[in-house]
Amino acid sequence: MGVPDVAPPLRSSRRRPRLVALVVAGIGTVILSVVLESVLLRPYPIPLATSLAILVHALSGGRLAPDPCAGAALGPSGCFGATFIVLNIALPEVLLAAIVGAALGVSGGALQGVFRNPLADPFLLGISSGGTLGAAILYVYRFGEAQADLYLPAFAFLGSVGTGLLIFGIARGRQSSVETVLLSGVAVANLLSAVLSLVLLGNPFGAEQLTFWLLGGLALASWTVDGIALGGVVAVGTLLCLYGRELNLLQLGPDVAQSAGVDVPRVRLRVILLASLLTAVAVAFTGIIGFVGLVSPHIVRRLAGSDYRLVLPGSAAVGALLLLGANDASVVAFPSSYLPLGIFTAFAGVPFFLFLLLRHRRAAAMGVS
Amino acid sequence: MTGPSLAPAVRLDAASAAYGSRPALTDVSLTVAEGEFLALTGPNGSGKTTLLRLVLGFLAPTRGQVELLGETVGDLSVRERARRVAWVPQDEPAREDVPILDYVLYGRYAHHRTLEGDRPGEVALARSILGSVGLAGRESDGLLSISGGERQRATLARALVQATPVLLLDEPTAHLDIAHQLDILDRVRALARERRVTVVAALHDLNLAARFADRIVVLSHGRVAADGPAASVLSEELLARVWGVSADLHREARSGVPYLVPRHLLTEVSRDRTAPAAGPVHVVGGGGAARPILRALADEGFIVTAGALHLLDSDTETAEALGLASAIEGPFSPLSPSTRERHRRLLENARVIVVAPFAVGPSNVDNLWDVGPFASGTPVFLVSRPPIAERDFAGGDATRAYAALLERGAREVADLPTLLPALRGTLRAEPVRAAGGAAGRADR
Repeated sequence: MGVPDVAPPLRSSRRRPRLVALVVAGIGTVILSVVLESVLLRPYPIPLATSLAILVHALSGGRLAPDPCAGAALGPSGCFGATFIVLNIALPEVLLAAIVGAALGVSGGALQGVFRNPLADPFLLGISSGGTLGAAILYVYRFGEAQADLYLPAFAFLGSVGTGLLIFGIARGRQSSVETVLLSGVAVANLLSAVLSLVLLGNPFGAEQLTFWLLGGLALASWTVDGIALGGVVAVGTLLCLYGRELNLLQLGPDVAQSAGVDVPRVRLRVILLASLLTAVAVAFTGIIGFVGLVSPHIVRRLAGSDYRLVLPGSAAVGALLLLGANDASVVAFPSSYLPLGIFTAFAGVPFFLFLLLRHRRAAAMGVS
Repeated sequence: MTGPSLAPAVRLDAASAAYGSRPALTDVSLTVAEGEFLALTGPNGSGKTTLLRLVLGFLAPTRGQVELLGETVGDLSVRERARRVAWVPQDEPAREDVPILDYVLYGRYAHHRTLEGDRPGEVALARSILGSVGLAGRESDGLLSISGGERQRATLARALVQATPVLLLDEPTAHLDIAHQLDILDRVRALARERRVTVVAALHDLNLAARFADRIVVLSHGRVAADGPAASVLSEELLARVWGVSADLHREARSGVPYLVPRHLLTEVSRDRTAPAAGPVHVVGGGGAARPILRALADEGFIVTAGALHLLDSDTETAEALGLASAIEGPFSPLSPSTRERHRRLLENARVIVVAPFAVGPSNVDNLWDVGPFASGTPVFLVSRPPIAERDFAGGDATRAYAALLERGAREVADLPTLLPALRGTLRAEPVRAAGGAAGRADR
């Protein structure tokens, strides 16, 4: 046995610093985003130093920066207003962006893994549309308005999971290639948007509320919403991240995975369900935000390799960062209005998707696949 | 065959399998002992892969039993199966550029609990197995950056790290060049012996199967067509029967391992039982000279007879493999009156007589003289290369007999390629002569 005397450096040690850097960068971006957004977006600008002081004050429980508004020429009500904006509007929005971005990232990574296709994404597969339809039905027919915070995710969940199961059913068919599944997803997404239009015809007033929804945005953010979303994403995301090993083996083909001990049908069903669930949480509060789930896993694979034990949590971090970045970009570009976030991710995501598609084609043509 | 009182590693008991309504395996019974290296072979679609899939539990038998180490495969959980049997597919698709060591460690899945990382002992095991498949020092190379041969060895390592008592290989050499074919099977055999792993390998290549396996099982149309050590299983007849291929069987001088040299496909004519057969054509031969002629004529679909041949002669083996009616004498002895009489009956019955360019000695010179009386009534072709003078070991007697044949109207043809058109021309006009008891079908 040719075991080398000098053991090579422990594997994956190369990757650790990168991961740490990623986490640090993520936290830094969260803070920067809050500041940036609160400075630029509000009807009356809050000075940068004041925003920062308000945050530090709140985070330290009042021990640090005892008088955050001191530097700025703000009266007591002005100071109260600034504090309210930073802590109750800006911060929840930014956190929601991070939570939803993480959810979409993990969901995209898991779907790419389970379908063994780098083009899979909850939005492209129609899972997001399903969630939107569910939410739209709630809006239009005004079910349980009183507990909207609770019913909204429930309906979005039903819509997403229903779509996820439909796609799983298609994927299970003996003859279905991955391309079939993806194209079926596109078809299902179109059908769902037609159904959505039909539902909206029944109540034109609902349509107005839904416009924002269809384009995706953070306007629903509040600490309550954030709390529900965070709870859901942490719980489901953690469960999903436990399937890294199985997804690694699935990349070698379902037969090899099974021969190595993976219960392939069960793992597939669970991963698709969990990914739909995560998407549902995201869609319920922010509407359709596409392409984050597509792009994030690619960035992680580039940075950290294709071990799904890293790809899944990594996609969460990168997804959060991406959505925060998109949010900042939208704030910088159009400071005076809420620009739907989905527009921004589409502008960045579609070219990337086309790039992947073309590269994939070329690789397939060369027999690399 | 060892393993006292232990359950066999793999056991199929009258197992059948089907894809939908299409049967893939029918009533297959097979026992593989612990530590045995069994090669599974047969034409495409004969059920090799299906059999492996049954053992792996990918497919449930429609009838019968499939057992792994004494337990029914269907009763085992996916994970328990993965602890008993590992699988090396024909070509494991690499989509991600995973470092080889990580890839190999994926094979430990069945031994892990949820969330459990790779234990240090496992990393050491993976390293040592990578070393034994010749990939030491390549641990951090990506799967996409290594060659096909290396990837197949990495796949083997991935299966070995599963540490199962049974290893299944499905055409592990299909995409490899000859050096890598030998390399991978060498390693499998060495590892199987070293670790007492039972190996079942589906192999297209009969010569590889004969060289490496303790035992060969031939499948044909989903049934076991032959089962045993290579030396007793492989034959020209088997190739003709199962694959429809004409081949020559040789033995390696030193090892005695049989090897087959495929010649060509048996033509549709020879396999089409309803085609009108021409002949009989009687071939006089000996010492291996008639072998290519017998085979070519049988392949052409002629009814062929042969004589008078000696036992232990390779012409005799060929005639027997082809199931030809022939007159056969004991080894190395002069032709006895009864053999000559039988030979004469074959000659008499023949539509055409072909005399192969055999070496003529005292023990078989009578073969030439016996053709004489028929030469005036029956077309006789003398294959004349090499010339008779060079192969007359009967002190001129052979040359005289040959000249006598020419005198009576026998035609000389240089070799097999010139013989065949001449024969076809002669026989086209002539109907099949009413077959006496001696004439057999060419390919039965």
